[in-house]
Amino acid sequence: MSRPIIEIEGLRKSFGDLEVLSGIDLTIDAGEVVCVIGPSGSGKSTLLRCINLLEQPTGGRITVADTQVFGDGKPQNLDRLRREVGMVFQQFNLFPHLNAVENVSLAQVRVLGRSKGEADRKSRELLGRVGLDEKVDEYPDRLSGGQQQRVAIARALAMDPEVMLFDEVTSALDPELVQGVLDVMRELADSGMTMISVTHEMGFAREVSDRTIFMDEGVIVEQGDPAEVLGNPKNERTQRFLGLVLPG
Amino acid sequence: MDAFFQTYFDFQIIDENFGYVLEGFWWTIRLSLLGGALSLLWGLILAVLRQLPGRALAPVRWLTVAYIDALRGIPLLLVIFLIYGGLGALASEGVIPRDLGIPRWFGLPSPFWYGIIAITLTYGAYMAEVYRAGIEAVPSGQTEAARSLGMSHGQSMRFIVVPQAVRKVIPPLLNDFIALMKDTSLVSVIGLVETVQAGRDVYSETFNASALTLGAFLFLVVTIPLARFVDWQIKKQNLKFQRGAP
Repeated sequence: MSRPIIEIEGLRKSFGDLEVLSGIDLTIDAGEVVCVIGPSGSGKSTLLRCINLLEQPTGGRITVADTQVFGDGKPQNLDRLRREVGMVFQQFNLFPHLNAVENVSLAQVRVLGRSKGEADRKSRELLGRVGLDEKVDEYPDRLSGGQQQRVAIARALAMDPEVMLFDEVTSALDPELVQGVLDVMRELADSGMTMISVTHEMGFAREVSDRTIFMDEGVIVEQGDPAEVLGNPKNERTQRFLGLVLPG
Repeated sequence: MDAFFQTYFDFQIIDENFGYVLEGFWWTIRLSLLGGALSLLWGLILAVLRQLPGRALAPVRWLTVAYIDALRGIPLLLVIFLIYGGLGALASEGVIPRDLGIPRWFGLPSPFWYGIIAITLTYGAYMAEVYRAGIEAVPSGQTEAARSLGMSHGQSMRFIVVPQAVRKVIPPLLNDFIALMKDTSLVSVIGLVETVQAGRDVYSETFNASALTLGAFLFLVVTIPLARFVDWQIKKQNLKFQRGAP
């Protein structure tokens, strides 16, 4: 019962003369959990940022939930896209002048038009879900990196997205805080959320993802079952990369 | 030494003219508070106009930049003369309504309002630059997060960027306010007897500078605490910064 939720065709992105994405074709099914791995500079974060149009692609086509959001060189239906797709950033990007509940509630009220009471109820429920019942009134500078990142996840979930994008969300965390964030992501994956996660956590990719994608130099080099891609890579570039990052 | 004290600290002259100078200082205060408030508002509007997105709004951005450059490059004294000389003439020609040309709003005299307009036009431009620095100091991740949540440019500016920017620029804005307060004395050239003019009036009658000393002292009563307050604010921000908060 798979239904495509994101369809990407021939996606290209250049920064000046530098081509970062050189023609990406990718279809993500509803409920699928996809991890994107690859060396730095491979274009994996840019791919993610192009999917919700934080970067404007140079060419190609993106369709989200049967609505074309980029084509003919320009964004379309941007409101629809931002409603369907939530994003979590490496640097959390919480709003420092708002406390945890306000961070999660603001866009619910201003974008979705929910009442303040309704939004706050939802925010508290989500903050509870990510294990922060006790921290709802704290400001970001009083929270650890891991806690901030979990607030950021709750903030994105509050918009009821169809798809969640995770851009190296554990890379800025102290090692002991990584697990808490991964646990939340794992729970989210188990609940059936469609997720695309750019990550350096090979263990997470192996255990949680339905599909692992290896990118290098702006193209998808290899993709498939995580056990295959990570355990028995076919491509020589994938082998070299995994040889460098996996112990033993 | 006696002559020095006689010239600057003649308490009898200070005593006799205290009310007159204080009345002038009351104009200074009103010019500063109203001019300061309007400049803060006008400066913020200019800064936001300058940040409007998209190609279609480029002319608005250029006009805003041109305005800011022009008003920062002209002496306030000259702007005061331009407003004073221009508005009255335009009103008598019938180009603009008389109420605008010779404003006497809220029963206050027109030199006061000419001064308020000139101060707002000039200091709005200065403050726009301060706000701009604050807006540009808000990390781009903040706008990206706002956009990824579906907020428009306007919503992101209003709820995310401007509240953070304003907090960052309170100290430099207060510094501009201190400068503004001192510059209100320029309005005396079009006939408003504010602190400095009051002191000069006394001087030309008595050939003694003590009323001017009194004026200086009245300024310091406000500006020194303000300067200390600015320092305290900066210190508070630095502490917050050291703690690792954005």
